[in-house]
Amino acid sequence: MTGNRMFDLAVSPHIGSSQNTKRIMWDVVIALIPALVAAFWFFGPRALMLVAASVGAAVLTEWLCLKFMKRPVNFAFDGSAVVTGLLLAYNVPSGVPWWIPVLGSAFAIAVAKQAFGGLGHNIVNPALLGRAFLVASFPVLMTAGWIAPMEWRDGQRIDVQSCGVSTAQLSESEELDALSGATPLNVLKQTFSWEGEPGRGEEVRAMLFSKQSLKNLFMGRAGGCIGETSAIMLLLGAIYLILRGVLELRLPLSYLGSVALFGWLFGGSGWFNGNPLFHLLAGGVILGGFFMITDMVTTPVTKKGRIIFGIGAGLLTMVIRRWGGYPEGCSYSILLMNLGTPLIDRYTRPRAFGEVKKNG
Amino acid sequence: MSKVKSFAGGTHPPGNKEHSSGAAVVRLPAPEVVTVPLCQHLGAPSKPVVKPGDQVLKGSVIGEQNGFISLPTHSPVNGKVLRVENVPMPHMRSGPAVVIKTESEDGGEVYEPIADWEHADTSVLVNRIKEAGVCGMGGASFPTYVKLSPPKGVTIDTLIINGVECEPYLTADHRLMLERTQDLITGMSILARVLGVTDPVIGIEVNKPDAIKLLQEKGVKVVPLKVQYPQGAEKQLISAVTGRVVPAGGLPLNVGVVVQNVGTCVAVAEAVCSGLPSIRRITTVSGLGVNKPGNFDVCVGTPVSVLIEAAGGYQGEIKRLVSGGPMMGMAMFTDTAPVTKGTSGILALSPGEVRDVEEGPCIRCGKCVDVCPLNLVPCTIATASEFGKWEDAEKAGALNCMACGTCSYVCPAGRYLVQHIKRAQNEIRALAREREA
Repeated sequence: MTGNRMFDLAVSPHIGSSQNTKRIMWDVVIALIPALVAAFWFFGPRALMLVAASVGAAVLTEWLCLKFMKRPVNFAFDGSAVVTGLLLAYNVPSGVPWWIPVLGSAFAIAVAKQAFGGLGHNIVNPALLGRAFLVASFPVLMTAGWIAPMEWRDGQRIDVQSCGVSTAQLSESEELDALSGATPLNVLKQTFSWEGEPGRGEEVRAMLFSKQSLKNLFMGRAGGCIGETSAIMLLLGAIYLILRGVLELRLPLSYLGSVALFGWLFGGSGWFNGNPLFHLLAGGVILGGFFMITDMVTTPVTKKGRIIFGIGAGLLTMVIRRWGGYPEGCSYSILLMNLGTPLIDRYTRPRAFGEVKKNG
Repeated sequence: MSKVKSFAGGTHPPGNKEHSSGAAVVRLPAPEVVTVPLCQHLGAPSKPVVKPGDQVLKGSVIGEQNGFISLPTHSPVNGKVLRVENVPMPHMRSGPAVVIKTESEDGGEVYEPIADWEHADTSVLVNRIKEAGVCGMGGASFPTYVKLSPPKGVTIDTLIINGVECEPYLTADHRLMLERTQDLITGMSILARVLGVTDPVIGIEVNKPDAIKLLQEKGVKVVPLKVQYPQGAEKQLISAVTGRVVPAGGLPLNVGVVVQNVGTCVAVAEAVCSGLPSIRRITTVSGLGVNKPGNFDVCVGTPVSVLIEAAGGYQGEIKRLVSGGPMMGMAMFTDTAPVTKGTSGILALSPGEVRDVEEGPCIRCGKCVDVCPLNLVPCTIATASEFGKWEDAEKAGALNCMACGTCSYVCPAGRYLVQHIKRAQNEIRALAREREA
């Protein structure tokens, strides 16, 4: 029948791409799974337990907050809380007690996200603020909870050296023995304090920057937070996100490029003698560069802004690594840049097509 | 083939042109009653010059031009005027129209053909295009003669014919290029002569290789364009073809360019060479909501329902009925609305084709910024609009927006970005009028 039917009215466009917020969030969750496998491989079932606790706490907190604020609770299952829970757990050492990630996730969701209005309205990356809260509140647990990675070899679980330096090299160096539970960045930081003793820092740095050490870092045979250990597994996830059209590369590339440049510039003891590859692979740069700095909500929307953000975060990361109070600066660099996002967006608004520059 | 050109930004909605691109144009007879709107063109509606009971001839003027940006309206049939009244329109709530009972389609009035147009005075040609009621057939329906009358001191050196048809589903222009090739070339030459342009070009997306090949064989200069929405938007087309950037708030003539749609060229050729007023057009009927999508040559005033019947009738649930393409077309609440000179297509979209999502919060992903062909920051403008901050929206460039819909299309949060921005535009303009008053 035609002629008398009534149809719905709506504003154009009438069609839309298949991408949606939920799909993006679950894609990020999927992309983070390879790193979880690596965490299990190197740190054992304990890592899985911490991640599960963190994710559970994040989703529960989100649900409670929404319920309390009388908002639709289905937002708790849009995947964004799961991402926050995963990322928070990925940013704690594997030796911490279970309530650390639980507390961190709850703080991340309740204070960093929901208090600001929920999804899309938070100013800083919730997982990173949760981590900063944990580091500030439980500094000992958060910086001493490193567990040396393990590996299955010939049917047996064996320790591998956590600072990423091979066992053979380790036995030759007394300094490293004392640091066997530390992360590569801890060791590097230590070497910066040995300025008075010529040769000592250089020797250890040479080991850290060696091919063997870089290979270990790439594979994940190094101490560190749960999710940051294996560069290759994180990159697998990043490739998935790129293929799914979720990851926009301006932020990751400008950040990694900036870390590499400044890492080379002053990532060693003096100038121009740092190892860019070491700085990319050690610590949380790969995790941060593909999964945290890319948090859409807290980073600029403009193309130029994203590049400025990435370069700024890379510079801050390296400044903290070289001169700051912590061995690793990735998470603080991103948090600090998050605060600058509104300003960056304002000053990088693109000139509209055909808009003429105004005089004066 | 020369290098495929494009503009910056944009997106790639599924074409869905295969439903109707192979269907030759079917000429439909006039329905028993035609409802001829008097505001088929942009600008002031024509002033009705007939009253109920009057006998009208096909091609006779039923509404006269009413101002500079306006056009006359002609009867598409021989018949008797039943009513002059407001009717539902595809592109607005309602508008004045002349309702005519069809008696026949034979004979009728035509203007004196200008066979020797190559030597005729250009003012004669422009006048003919005006009196024949020719307006842009691409969708915006701007009176064609106005575009052909540039103000003194403006030199036009480029004429681009728009055969892009970047809206998904639509194939009317594609079929027209294949089936009305000679008229198209003639119309193009007439327009070039009027504007004093020696070397007109036609821009066509490479998803229409048969049209590109056919026109190239006939010696027409074709610029193949990348399949990218909104390639056919006037400013984007100019940028792709010539590299020139039309100033914000300006017109193509500011950079020496005039753009005309392929359908307009055919209408111009008919008006000049055969003296035919603009009373018919080719339109696509498509979408999974009709049984047999196709392209139809219909007289203006034909109700949409007649077109739907011609396309085999509705099929299944219809989520939305759209006049035009799915990106910029207008949803219609009734299929009794008539086809106008600007109706490039009628889409009956099934639930699976329409995006039907609840608007979520902006996650600031920046996809809208990446794709905006006008380099705007749609999410910021839309947010300002949601909060009623019209000045902020204006500062962020809201008035530049052409509502192409690319941002809304890609937005993962399903925000009604175009709707918010259009609202801001309305409010900003209203405020400006208030200030002037």
